[in-house]
Amino acid sequence: MAGGVFLDIVDPWINWNWLSTHIPTVLAALQQHVMLTAIAVATALVLSIPIGVVAHLWPAVRVPTLGALGVFYTIPSIALFALLIPYTGLTGTTAEIPLIGYNLLVLVRNVVVGLESVPPDVLDAADGMGYRRFARLVRIELPLALPAMFAGLRIATVSTIGIVTIAAVIGIGGLGQLILKGLIENFHTPLVVATILSIALALFLDLSLAGTQRIALPWSRKQ
Amino acid sequence: MVTETMSLLEHLWQWFADPANRQGSDGIPTRLGEHVQLSVEAIIIGALIALPIGVVLGHYGRFGNLAINLSNAGRAIPSFAVIVLAFQAFGLGGGPIVFALTLLAIPPMVTNAYVALREVDADVRDAARGMGYRELAQVIRIELPLAVPLIMAGVRTSAVQVVATATLAALVAGGGLGRYIVDGLARNDNPRLVAGALLVAGLALATEFSLSALERLISPRGVRLRRHPVYQPLKIV
Amino acid sequence: MNGIRRTVWSAAAVAAIALVAVACGASSSPSGTTSKGTITVGGFNFPESDILAQVYGQTLAHDGYTVNYKLELGARSIVVPALQSGQIDLYPGYAASELEYLNHGKGEATADPAETTSKLNTYLSAIGAEALTPSAAFDGNAYAVTKATADQYNLKTLSDLTGVADKLVFGAGPECKTYKFCLPGLTSVYGLHFKNTLVLDTDGPATRAAFKNGTIQVGLVFSTDADLQQLGLVVLQDDKHMIAADNVVPVIRTKAATNDVTGILNKISAGLSTNDLFTMNGEVSLQHMDADAVAKSYLQAHNYFS
Repeated sequence: MAGGVFLDIVDPWINWNWLSTHIPTVLAALQQHVMLTAIAVATALVLSIPIGVVAHLWPAVRVPTLGALGVFYTIPSIALFALLIPYTGLTGTTAEIPLIGYNLLVLVRNVVVGLESVPPDVLDAADGMGYRRFARLVRIELPLALPAMFAGLRIATVSTIGIVTIAAVIGIGGLGQLILKGLIENFHTPLVVATILSIALALFLDLSLAGTQRIALPWSRKQ
Repeated sequence: MVTETMSLLEHLWQWFADPANRQGSDGIPTRLGEHVQLSVEAIIIGALIALPIGVVLGHYGRFGNLAINLSNAGRAIPSFAVIVLAFQAFGLGGGPIVFALTLLAIPPMVTNAYVALREVDADVRDAARGMGYRELAQVIRIELPLAVPLIMAGVRTSAVQVVATATLAALVAGGGLGRYIVDGLARNDNPRLVAGALLVAGLALATEFSLSALERLISPRGVRLRRHPVYQPLKIV
Repeated sequence: MNGIRRTVWSAAAVAAIALVAVACGASSSPSGTTSKGTITVGGFNFPESDILAQVYGQTLAHDGYTVNYKLELGARSIVVPALQSGQIDLYPGYAASELEYLNHGKGEATADPAETTSKLNTYLSAIGAEALTPSAAFDGNAYAVTKATADQYNLKTLSDLTGVADKLVFGAGPECKTYKFCLPGLTSVYGLHFKNTLVLDTDGPATRAAFKNGTIQVGLVFSTDADLQQLGLVVLQDDKHMIAADNVVPVIRTKAATNDVTGILNKISAGLSTNDLFTMNGEVSLQHMDADAVAKSYLQAHNYFS
């Protein structure tokens, strides 16, 4: 019925007075959010390279690895956060473990796809030039896999920003705390502010990564 | 820690076996039904909006950048926030939740439909035009069948994410399998919490597999044999 | 291999910028004065808990302790284990609710705060914690109806609901079905059988929305909610004293419960009144003021109860 409209009469969607007096609170939440995201993405990135290489080199490992990561991916974050509390407590670790797990699927898959997309001619040429297996991997194959890895990095970063908001349900900070505050206190402003900042942060990081890729890998332009 | 986990598994088994959890307004069939209903409504409405837009844009090749980046932009929208916003704007009930889920479902389907139509070989288009097909007929009888695999991949991506995100409905007093997770957390009832998580994961996997099978079923044989494009994962919950 | 070097340098640059940004924003180190010790205060995920945590915490800080806050943690199922494992040292509890959580809903709480608190302590000692002296400030379950419903059926007490309950829909949180002083209490003490019971949230936005759009006519709220009048709700009197003593009581780890600390906390509890809770809730929920600011002005007005 008119339940929702009633609420609007009580509160404007953005209460500028509240916003202007709470900039520090909002910025603190944003900073926590960036930290949580950065740790999750960076850790997963570092782990994904060895895991991806192993999965690429030994096909018998690839299917179970991607399969296990894929199943983990389907579990809703809120359930994993709650389940980890008895084991890892109310720390950032409880939030990070599921986030890293989700990012691993995206990043490992992209490492594998990237390595697989190296043209066989290039591999032959490298072998012909005398590269040994490991050197070929590090100096030829991985660099050529970078565009795929960058694509995965962008996806992982943007997804993580959204999922971190849910960690607020178990008391971990970030923009999700503002969303929860808005929900519990029937107050629109923190909710709207958190939504806008979350989207802005995601777009900013996505464009930054795209820009970094252009600068670092100019030959991969049309990906 | 090991003994705690073992006892949790035992209690979990008992939870599933308990007849009280298999019937009634909080039983598995009811909650599963609520969850499926929310998801199906969002996916169908989303598809009815997204697919025509994607197909038309893809056929004419217009607004390409927007269409391609839409799914990335959609990934940037925090699903938790959207569900709460819909609740605050429209109140209690399934309607606001379906509205929020539909918004989240649309982007990947638009992008995939657009790319699918664009990937139709220019030669095929020329041949069709040469054979005298008019615009609409060309789209429906030539381009769409070729585009089906990628369009279905988009629907599949959206569907799995809608099923997972519908879990959050419980945070705004909605029904569905998320109720087990949220209530389990509130009541310190770990078996209920784990059961809810398993049920949602299971439903998401079932959605993935059944839509993959559907995709194989409706793809024309010749197209099915072509190499499948890289699958873009989507996780927002 | 120019490209690789460029990649590595760019990545390093991005990482460096990120690190600097994070480091610059990192919280400043504490000042030079020595503190009497560190205490971490926890709280539940509703505004009143934020307020109480700030009231207790700021008084301890005023007295020279270093106080950290871990607020909005969620339900008891997160807060109590956090206390047990030492992640928080103290939280503002409600005597009857804490007892019924620890005894798994046996129903041992009564309407008497002292009796309830001593029973609570027998359970808390097993997990290395204790409840201090309960305050007179009370915030417990309250069952409300819309003004329209109250007028229609002439309702003033819970007993008045017997006979009309089967025409009304009841809404509460997930724990209400099994909590002795919620639905089971309404059924056994007052004989109420509602037409339907909806699981919403525990006195949260969903319950309020359900009242507003007529989905429920009877619902669980908490007795010090600031917006009851604004919502047009009438709390029905608990004439048979079913509702147990949910008096505010600090729950603290025994390791942190020095005489100094407990003395300070007890002074606050002694000075806190139900009306204070009601007033402060209003400032946070209706005027959107911050819990810490509201607690601060309250404490300053009472000179930190020193």
